[in-house]
Amino acid sequence: MSTSAAHAHPGSGHAHGHGHDHGHPAPGFWSHYVFSTDHKTIGIQYGLTALVFLFLGFCLMLVMRWQLAYPGQPIPVIGGWLPKSIADAGILLPEGYNAFGAMHGTIMVFLAIVPLGVGAFGNYILPLMIGAQDMAFPRLNMASYWSFLPGCVVMFASFFLPGGPAQSGWTSYPPLSNIATSGQTWWLLGMVFLITSSLLGSVNFIVTTIHMRAPGLTMFRLPFFVWAQLVTSFLLLLAFPPLEAAAVLQLMDRVAGTSFFMPEGLIISTKLLTESAGVFQGYSGGGSPLLWQHLFWFLAHPEVYVLILPAMGIVSEVIASNTRKPLWGYKSLVFSVIFLGFMSFVVWAHHMYMTGMGQAISIFFQATTMIISGPSVVILTALLISLWGASIRYTVPMLFATAFLPMFAIGGLTGLPLGLTASDIHLHDTYYVIGHFHYVVAPGTIFAVFAGIYHWYPKVTGRMMNQFLGKAHFWLSFLFINGVFMPMFWSGMAGALRRQYDPLMQLHAETVQGLGVMTSWSAWLLGLTQLLFILNFFWSLKAGAPAGENPWHATTLEWATEYTPPRHGNFAAVPTVHRGPYEYSVPGHAADFVPQHEHA
Amino acid sequence: MTGAPYGRWSPWNAAADGVQVDQLISIIHWFMLVLFVGWGIFFVYCLLRFRSRAGHQASYALPAGKMSKYAEIGVAIFETVLLVGFSIPVWWRYKYDPPKPDRRQEVRAVGEQFAWNFHYPGPDGKFGRTDPHLITASNLLGVDFDNDPVAKDDVVSPTMHVRKELPVYVRISSKDVIHSFYIPAMRVKQDAVPGMEVPVWFTPIRDSDEFRAAIAKDYPLNERFKEKMLRTTMVSMQKYEKGGETIAESGQVISDEIVEKLKTAGTTTVRAAEQDPIQVVCAQLCGANHFKMKAPMSVDTEAQYEAWLKELTTEPQLDLE
Repeated sequence: MSTSAAHAHPGSGHAHGHGHDHGHPAPGFWSHYVFSTDHKTIGIQYGLTALVFLFLGFCLMLVMRWQLAYPGQPIPVIGGWLPKSIADAGILLPEGYNAFGAMHGTIMVFLAIVPLGVGAFGNYILPLMIGAQDMAFPRLNMASYWSFLPGCVVMFASFFLPGGPAQSGWTSYPPLSNIATSGQTWWLLGMVFLITSSLLGSVNFIVTTIHMRAPGLTMFRLPFFVWAQLVTSFLLLLAFPPLEAAAVLQLMDRVAGTSFFMPEGLIISTKLLTESAGVFQGYSGGGSPLLWQHLFWFLAHPEVYVLILPAMGIVSEVIASNTRKPLWGYKSLVFSVIFLGFMSFVVWAHHMYMTGMGQAISIFFQATTMIISGPSVVILTALLISLWGASIRYTVPMLFATAFLPMFAIGGLTGLPLGLTASDIHLHDTYYVIGHFHYVVAPGTIFAVFAGIYHWYPKVTGRMMNQFLGKAHFWLSFLFINGVFMPMFWSGMAGALRRQYDPLMQLHAETVQGLGVMTSWSAWLLGLTQLLFILNFFWSLKAGAPAGENPWHATTLEWATEYTPPRHGNFAAVPTVHRGPYEYSVPGHAADFVPQHEHA
Repeated sequence: MTGAPYGRWSPWNAAADGVQVDQLISIIHWFMLVLFVGWGIFFVYCLLRFRSRAGHQASYALPAGKMSKYAEIGVAIFETVLLVGFSIPVWWRYKYDPPKPDRRQEVRAVGEQFAWNFHYPGPDGKFGRTDPHLITASNLLGVDFDNDPVAKDDVVSPTMHVRKELPVYVRISSKDVIHSFYIPAMRVKQDAVPGMEVPVWFTPIRDSDEFRAAIAKDYPLNERFKEKMLRTTMVSMQKYEKGGETIAESGQVISDEIVEKLKTAGTTTVRAAEQDPIQVVCAQLCGANHFKMKAPMSVDTEAQYEAWLKELTTEPQLDLE
C-alpha cells in the first residue's frame, strides 16, 4: 500500500518525484489560476469563495436582527437598497424576512462552512499531511469546485427573482416549499450542483487518504485532521444522495405536477388545489410531506457532523502543536470519530419528534441520540486532557482552538434536552434550538476555522498574520458571539419561537424581547469585529512578517514542503514517515519536536 | 407556583401533565450544569497551570488514570435513567393514555394559512361531516350544516374554549401546509400535517382569570401602551369611575375612547391585562404570516363556559367573537 503511494499519480500525467516545474510547460493564466487541477489552488478557490459567502450569510442575519430588535422600523442606511420582494420603504417584509432566514441557513451550511472545512482546509492540507503530490484525481477535484461555483451563482442569483429567493426555511418542508415562489426551484437546482460537488470531492478524499499516503505513514500515524476528513468524506458520500434525489422529487412536484410530497385534498384560500389553475391542477395526491422530512434529515443530520468533524480535526492539530506534547487518547479519538460517523446515520428522526411519532420509533431515536453523545464527549474530553502537563503557547490560533472546547461543550450539552422527546415538547422550534446548534457551528466550527486560518496562513502565503489584530479579533469575537447566542436559551425556555418576523406578536415572547435586543447589538458588534480579521488577512499578504518553513515548529508533513508557499508537486522528494504525528517534547531530544519524516 | 406566567424561564405550567415535562427539563439542566462546571474547572486549571513559561517543560508522558472512563460511564448511566425513567413514561402519557371518551371535551383544531379554527361537536358529541367543496369564507371548515343532521349543533370558532379541570382531546389537522399546534403554558406541541389527523390531550389546571390576574400591570397611558393596544386586546382589571360615571368596568376591553376618558379624568396609569393571556400559536414555518398565526384560548370555569354556549344561538353558525 505505502510503496505504491510513492509512484501512483493517476490522472496527473506528469513526472513525479520532485516539486520542480521543469519537465513540463508552465501553465497559462487560466490553467494556473482558474481551471487548475492543483489541490492547493482548488483549496484557495474554495476558501475565498466560501469566505465571501460566509460574510454574505452573516450580513443577511444582521439585517434580520434589525427587524427582530425593532419590529416595523426601517433598516438604517441599507434599507432602501433591498429589492421589492424583500423590503418595502426600507422595512423588511415578512416574505423578505423568511427569504433571508432560509438563505442564511442554506448559505452558511452549504456555501460557507462545508466548503471551508472540507473544500478549503481538506483540499489544501490533506495531501500535504499525507506526503502526497496532489489528490488521487486532480481533474475530478477541479470538477468538484466547478460544480460548487455554479451552485453558488444559482443561489445568489435567486435573490433577484421577482418572487424572491427560497423562503421555506433551509429545511424546505413541503407542502409549503412545493407551493412557494420560483426562488424555491432555483434553490433546488442550486442544491443539485452543490451536492454533486460534495460527492465528487468526497470520492477524491477517500481514495487519496487510502492510497496515497507516504511510505511509513500507516493509518494510525495519520494526524487526527486526516481521520476527521476521511470520516467526513464518508458522511458526504453516503448521506447526500438521498437529499439529491429528494430535491429532484420536489422539483418534479413543483414543475411537473407529481405528488411525491403532496397529500390529496389540499385547500389553499378556500379552494382545492387540484381545482386551481396551474401546475397542480390534476395532481393526484397520495404523497406524504413526512417523506421529504425523512429524506432531508437523513442527509441533514450527518451534515451537522460534516460541519463539526473538520473543525475537531483543525483544533486537534492546533492544540497538539501549541501544547508541545502528544494528544491524549489518539486511539480513542480515532475510534470515536469512526463510531460517531456511523451513529450519525441512525439519529435523524430526532428532528421529527413532533410530527406524530409513536413510542417505539421515538425510543429508538432517543436511544441512538443518547448513544451518539458518547463519542462526542470522548473527543472533547481527550482534547481537554491533552492540556494536562502541557506547555501552552497562547498564539492566536491556540486562543481560538482552546475557546472551541467550552463553546462546543455548551452546544453539545444543550442538545440533551432536545434529544429526549418529553423535554423536546417544550423546546422544539424555539430559540433554544437556535442557541444549541449555533453554539456548535458558530463559536464552535467557525472559531475552529479561524484557528485553522491563523495556523496555516503562514504555510499558504509564506507570511505571518499580525498578532495584535489577531488577539483583538479573538477577544472581541469571543465576547460578542456569546452575547449573541447565550440569551437564546432563556428566550427559548420562555417559549419564544424561531422564524418569527415580529417577535412581539406573541405574548409569551414579549417578556424576552430585551434578550433579543441584546442579541442584535452583539451581532452587529460581532460584525464590526470581523473587519479586524479582514484587514489582517489582506494586509498580511503583503506586509506580514516572513514565516519561514515551519514557524510553529510542528511535526506534521505539511510543514516539510520544499517551498513555502508550496509549489506544484509539494515535496522535493516523497517523504518517508518514521513516527507518529505528535512527537513533541520527546525525552532525550534537543528540540521539543521531532517531525514525522525526520530520520530516526 | 410563583412568579409571573411569562418570564425569562418556562412559562407557568397550566396543564396537569406539564409538571412532568418541567421536571425532566429541570433535572437535565442541573446535570448539564454539573458537567459544564466540572469540565470548566479542569479546563481553567490547565490553562493557567500549564501555560508556557521560562523553565517549564511539557511532559511527553500521557496522564494515566481512569477518571475519564468513570465519568463517561457515569454520564451514560445518567442518560439512560433520563430516557427510561422520565422521557419514556411521559411520552407514553402524552401519546398512549388519552382521557376516557365519557369524560373529556372534544374539539378539532384545523390550521390553515394563517389561522386556527376550532370545530366543536355540540351537545350530541358527534362531529358533523365536512366537505372541502363546502368551504367558503364564512364556513372555513366546510361543515355540512345544511344536510347533515349531526352537524346541526356543531360550532366552528376562531377561539378555543376549554373548561378548567376537564381533559380536552384535540384532533389536529391542516388544510394546506404543515403548521404546529403549540400552547406554551399547557406544555403541548404537535405538528399539524396535511393528510394526517393527530390527537393531543391535556387538562388545564389554571383558568384565564388566574392568568389575567397574574399578568396584570399598571400601564402608563402613553404611546407605548397605544402601540400595544394595536397588537393585543387589553382589558381593564379594575373599575374606573369619575364623578359617579363609570369610565371602564373591570373586565371591559380598553378602547382608544376609554384611554382618552381616563386621561381626561386625570388618571396616568391603567391596571390592565391581555384579554387572551393563553394563546394557541403556530410553531412550524407556514408562510409569510406565520408570525401572526395565533388563536386565543379561553380556559373557562363551568359558569363561563355555559355563558359562552348561551351566547351562541341555537342555529349552527360561525362564532364571530
